[in-house]
Amino acid sequence: MRTNRLLTLAAAAALLLTACGGGGESVDTGGGGGGGGENVLIAAVSAEPDQFDPHVTNAYASFQVLENVYDTLVVPSAEDLTMQPGLAESWTTSPDGLSWTFTLRDGVTFHDGSEFDSADVVYSFRRIIDEELSNAYRFATVADVTAPDPRTVVMTLTRPTPNLLELIGSFKGMSIVSENAADEFDLQSEANGTGPFRLGSSDANATVLTTFDEYWGGAPSIDGVEFRYITEPTSALTALRNGEVQWTDNVPPQNVADLEGDEEVELGSVTSVEYFYMSMNYAVPPFDNRDVRRAIATAIDRDEVTQAARFGAAQPNQTAIPEGSPWFLEYAPFTPDEDAARQLIEQAGVQTPLTMGLMVTDEYPETVAAAQVIASQLEPIGIDVEIQEEDFATWLDRQSEGDFDAFMLSWIGNIDPADFYENQHLSTGGSNYQGYGNPQVDDLLTRAATEPDQAARKALYDQAAQVVVDDVSYLYLYNPDEVQAWAPGLTGYQVRADSAIDFENVELP
Amino acid sequence: MRGDPIRLALGTRFSQETYDALRERSGLDLPLVQQYLTWAGRAVTGDLGVSFRSGDTVTSLIGERLPATLTLALASLVVALVIALPLGMLSALHPRSLIDRVATVVSQFGISVPDFWLSIMLILVFAGVLGWLPSGGYVPLTEDPLGWLQRLVLPAVATGVVSGSVITRFVRSSMLEALGQDHVRTAQAKGVPTRQVLTWHVLRNALLPLVTVTGVQLAYLLSGVVVVEIVFSWPGLGQLAYQAVRDRDFPVLQGAVLLFALVFLVINLLVDLLYSRIDPRIARR
Repeated sequence: MRTNRLLTLAAAAALLLTACGGGGESVDTGGGGGGGGENVLIAAVSAEPDQFDPHVTNAYASFQVLENVYDTLVVPSAEDLTMQPGLAESWTTSPDGLSWTFTLRDGVTFHDGSEFDSADVVYSFRRIIDEELSNAYRFATVADVTAPDPRTVVMTLTRPTPNLLELIGSFKGMSIVSENAADEFDLQSEANGTGPFRLGSSDANATVLTTFDEYWGGAPSIDGVEFRYITEPTSALTALRNGEVQWTDNVPPQNVADLEGDEEVELGSVTSVEYFYMSMNYAVPPFDNRDVRRAIATAIDRDEVTQAARFGAAQPNQTAIPEGSPWFLEYAPFTPDEDAARQLIEQAGVQTPLTMGLMVTDEYPETVAAAQVIASQLEPIGIDVEIQEEDFATWLDRQSEGDFDAFMLSWIGNIDPADFYENQHLSTGGSNYQGYGNPQVDDLLTRAATEPDQAARKALYDQAAQVVVDDVSYLYLYNPDEVQAWAPGLTGYQVRADSAIDFENVELP
Repeated sequence: MRGDPIRLALGTRFSQETYDALRERSGLDLPLVQQYLTWAGRAVTGDLGVSFRSGDTVTSLIGERLPATLTLALASLVVALVIALPLGMLSALHPRSLIDRVATVVSQFGISVPDFWLSIMLILVFAGVLGWLPSGGYVPLTEDPLGWLQRLVLPAVATGVVSGSVITRFVRSSMLEALGQDHVRTAQAKGVPTRQVLTWHVLRNALLPLVTVTGVQLAYLLSGVVVVEIVFSWPGLGQLAYQAVRDRDFPVLQGAVLLFALVFLVINLLVDLLYSRIDPRIARR
């Protein structure tokens, strides 16, 4: 008994010594979240996934994990986000554009060992459509999904849908799950995908993935990934420098300049396809007046806004999509000019000073910073901006009730223009909260939506975008940089413009 | 409270049909009274419902975070008392001395310093510059005792300093009050040894308000210290409740609020029971 106690004491003392002995070098990182093994990538993400059902969740934190667990029929390339083969090897379109035939990849297995075939695709798509799950709207033009044989899937459409590939593959919300997965698994906490990693355990600390050896693209060289939730950027960056984690996307823009010279941290950055914008309420005078909106667009200096909101880690832009995207349009009709702006206000015959409530949310802290700069830029032309900071729930309520003069927000994951123009600028668009309606734009967008020729389609969207910018339906501000940081020596990782996090090819130092 | 949990859950792009379907699945289409009665009826049987967001039961979500919260609350209380008792007593025994002034400055600092700032400073110094401790996270004691302790130290100090500063002031003032009482002077005049005067006549009388304020501090610590939990990635109830408010995840929020109310009730009860042990006159009444 006594020897036992002594032994325990000695062991405890030894442990304590080892713990202190590390000095400034490193700290013990074992145990956290149950991740095991030397060859596991530990990634610090800023939020906890709400759940893991790819067809239900809308949380970015969930998709960071799911990106590595599931596959889609087609997938955006890391370079320019054009659609590449995923679980579908190839596809053809009927001459009338109303039928798409996908040939599926051979030799793909699910994590539970079952073979992947066309029934899984039909099940996954039908589940989203029939149960009206989050992404059901993406199938608006799909009449039927059938599987004539195990390697073939046919989608029939009610009208030509040139952006079908983006609709079914632009993110993991359109994941292919195994047939009857919803009955056989608790998809909120379990997964049965075909991706490079299996979903292991998940708790309030971390989510752990393990490598799937039968992955069709070849098993990853690391043994797994542990996603740790670290909300506070200072903590995440300290953990990265300490070697507690090897990767993080929790890099606030104000830290980018410091980190660039930091040898303990490698920084990756790319201009993302997300955009921040401001929008004014067409139902609230004087913002229904085109000249007033154009005066505001002329008074705002996007460079200054970008500096304040992103410390320069962004590309100012007067249109939606940044350079590098196939849909980029070089169009910047507004030059910051106080006098010209004042003149436009006069021309509109509007009494100044006038007050504009600008609704922003702490969910996107940079909108708060941007609003302060915008307020100072509009003051000289007689517009008194009242910044209204709301929590996101209230913000969304007020937006949908039309209870605002103006607001700021961002759109993320913009790959095809049908997605980010129709919703927002069609007079019947689901997210047209500003109440914009221009028959010319409606006509252009409706024609573009079914135009099979890519170049002709781009020309139509370019025309529509110019009118949208000229009318100031949205006052586009900038495309933020997607900035991520990792341990020096970590290879095989690429920062993506669509903000997807893909650890398939990572190798640890 | 404004805010629509369904709209929040669906993000920016969805169809009206999707919205309606999710609303129905969550039971939010039912009349509010019916929703509440269903909830209350189940709650008395220990069923607190299911989170809108994760689909997990509220009891499992709370159960998962309870150990972390208990650990941090108790450790913080220990830190608080280790700071407060000696500091408060010493400054009461030597009012207006150097030690009293130091104690005043220290407790003023502890009360007024924002906890997020203190937490970040602790991380930058002890995890960053010195590299002695991990920057955050939580490991169960049973899994890795050393890792548990290493991760507990900084958040416990961050919250303990704040609570300790509050308690220090109470210790000082209630000791001073007890010291000034007639029976203390009498005891001293009778020649009772100082040590005995202090433990029997002063401390025991000073204990009542101290127990009250300690109880309040413990209840506050148990209801989660949101900011410290967030900075140290500590998966406690505070973070759960905070996220539930942001998501308008009402079942989780109601469960957390119910638990916090229970915590306050139980601690108040315990404090009352302790009163009668400390002061037998209360028990006799």
